[in-house]
Amino acid sequence: MLFEILVYPGILFLLIASIIYSGIMRKLAARMQNRIGPPIYQVVYDLIKLTGKENIRPKQAKTGFTLFPAIALASVLIAGILIPIHTKTISFTGDYIAIIYFLLFSSTALFIAGYASSNNLAIVGSIRGIVMVFAYELPFIISILVPILAFNLYSIQSFDTWLITRYPLAALSLFISILAKVEIPPFHIPNAHQELVGGYSVEFTGKRLALIELTTIVKTFVLILLMITLYLGGAQNIFILLIKSLAVLFALTVSRVLFARLRIEQALRFYWIFALIAAIDLIRVL
Amino acid sequence: MNEDTCYTLPLGPQHPALVEPEYLKVHLDGETIVDVEINLGFMHRGIEKALQQRTYQQDRFLIEKICGICSSIHTLTYCNTIEKLLDVEIPERAKYIRMIIAEFERIHSHMLWVGIAAYEIGFDTVFQMSWRDRELVMELLEDLSGNRVSYSMNTIGGVRRDISRTMTEKIRTTMDKIDSRLHHYIDVFVNDSTITKRTKGTGILKQKDAIRYSAVGPLARASGISCDIRKKAPYLLYDKVDFKEITHNTSDVESRAIVRLKELLESTKIIRQCLHLMPKGELSIKVPDIVPVGEAISRGEAPRGEIFYYARSDGTDKPYRIKIRTPTLANIHSLQPMLKGQQLADLPIIVASIDPCFSCTDRVTLLDTRTGISKTVDETYLKKL
Repeated sequence: MLFEILVYPGILFLLIASIIYSGIMRKLAARMQNRIGPPIYQVVYDLIKLTGKENIRPKQAKTGFTLFPAIALASVLIAGILIPIHTKTISFTGDYIAIIYFLLFSSTALFIAGYASSNNLAIVGSIRGIVMVFAYELPFIISILVPILAFNLYSIQSFDTWLITRYPLAALSLFISILAKVEIPPFHIPNAHQELVGGYSVEFTGKRLALIELTTIVKTFVLILLMITLYLGGAQNIFILLIKSLAVLFALTVSRVLFARLRIEQALRFYWIFALIAAIDLIRVL
Repeated sequence: MNEDTCYTLPLGPQHPALVEPEYLKVHLDGETIVDVEINLGFMHRGIEKALQQRTYQQDRFLIEKICGICSSIHTLTYCNTIEKLLDVEIPERAKYIRMIIAEFERIHSHMLWVGIAAYEIGFDTVFQMSWRDRELVMELLEDLSGNRVSYSMNTIGGVRRDISRTMTEKIRTTMDKIDSRLHHYIDVFVNDSTITKRTKGTGILKQKDAIRYSAVGPLARASGISCDIRKKAPYLLYDKVDFKEITHNTSDVESRAIVRLKELLESTKIIRQCLHLMPKGELSIKVPDIVPVGEAISRGEAPRGEIFYYARSDGTDKPYRIKIRTPTLANIHSLQPMLKGQQLADLPIIVASIDPCFSCTDRVTLLDTRTGISKTVDETYLKKL
């Protein structure tokens, strides 16, 4: 039990796999853009370098500045442990609500941290982030509820059937909300560095910045796992997991290189349309 | 303006959207831009003063460094001005070579702009692709002059390097490649829905505003004003070649992109004609070091718009005064009507749509805020520093 939580498929596996996947994504995007791109282990270098850097805390920063980056990473790891891969680590009634909650809280914690840094650019980034939460959270929740309600389950479990064929609209809206949750183009609105420099992370340096980066990296992997578990027939062993997750990663990368960033009101409209589309599947289930 | 909900956001002096240091103080209400204050002056280099302390031939190298991107049009216009003072006519082959280099420069500058515009709306792929295709021209420039940035092709009295027969063939094939890529980018900017969502209807500069703020270059042409110096006051042999002046009427960011890209199709046309018309002959003529007393002006069409040179000689080998007006100085004021009422998310692309080159633009005026008296920097002030 402890081994499963801490090593496989728990925290250590999540951290290592997500760092590798992030490297693969950068390399893939680079090849799609006709560049050579960084080596796959570049992310490791970046994170190690960041841990060695000075921790600067702005004078006007509020209490949450130090605390919330760590909370964000912790909550995304908890969400990762709750998702059943092929062994079921922890399970309790209504754990899918916990997954929704912890994934949402990992985003919100970053926005709170940005808000606490009292920098105008960070505050605008955080506000944008919160607005985006209102946009993507509804289709996200609906698309998680669809398989759970369809089989009348009390807790989340790995589905052996390919639910994407049965509920394609809900699967699509889950994929679309993953894009916004991990801020992949066209929805990298909160950290739009052309206008907001770095968005909510603008005041962070050193280990805290490493935590923020790591949160996004791990969240990408956790959401890929969620997609596989719910809609892509689950992962019976590690090889199937590898193939399916790489396929989802490839799809995410295609979106990353294919689109320009939307404006926030365009993104809002887009997600509410997708919430309606996902609701069609929800009505079918009910 | 509601005082309670308004806040200011500093853009610059160091900011990822602006490559050069410039400070835009943006007043925002939510995400809507209420007002913008444009603060210039972080990159003032005192070049006009430095020009007076060097000889005419030495000035040529300093002028090349005014702008990294339009280094050729600066020396071209400077040489034109000094040749007017000297009252000499340069060989015809030199004129054609100058035109070819100037058009190469326009191609690589506008391709660079396409990349930057895509980057500002968060579209990294178009950014990477257009900079890759820009390399085609950069390689040609390197082959012709040995340099990718400061070509040093123009000299007073002609040009310094020739275009060989094998090079001519290479240029022709490269131009065909560039043409096909340009058609692709026009298609992308007109039809790609994620790009048009961000560019259509943003940053509108009405025709009457463009005239009032005296916009030049592609910015003015995108508002439907015909202002191409190559057509209006042809220099070199632009009246001998056949090309169209591109104007577009929608006045938004998309319109500027279309004007720039279509202009490049005309540029490749000009280059092909120049290669065809170019006669054999001398590259340059010998000119005296001492320039007779007098003053002259010259205008040229830089990639960003009209460029203006004024030179005054007092009969020595050093200029008495050289005054430069770069297109960004004329264009930057149009940012204010363009930005007001727009979304913050559109600010980078609107600023980029004038294709700003800030270090060419910076001028110094000292202003005492208590008394309101302004004075310009003069020689005695500079010597005191």
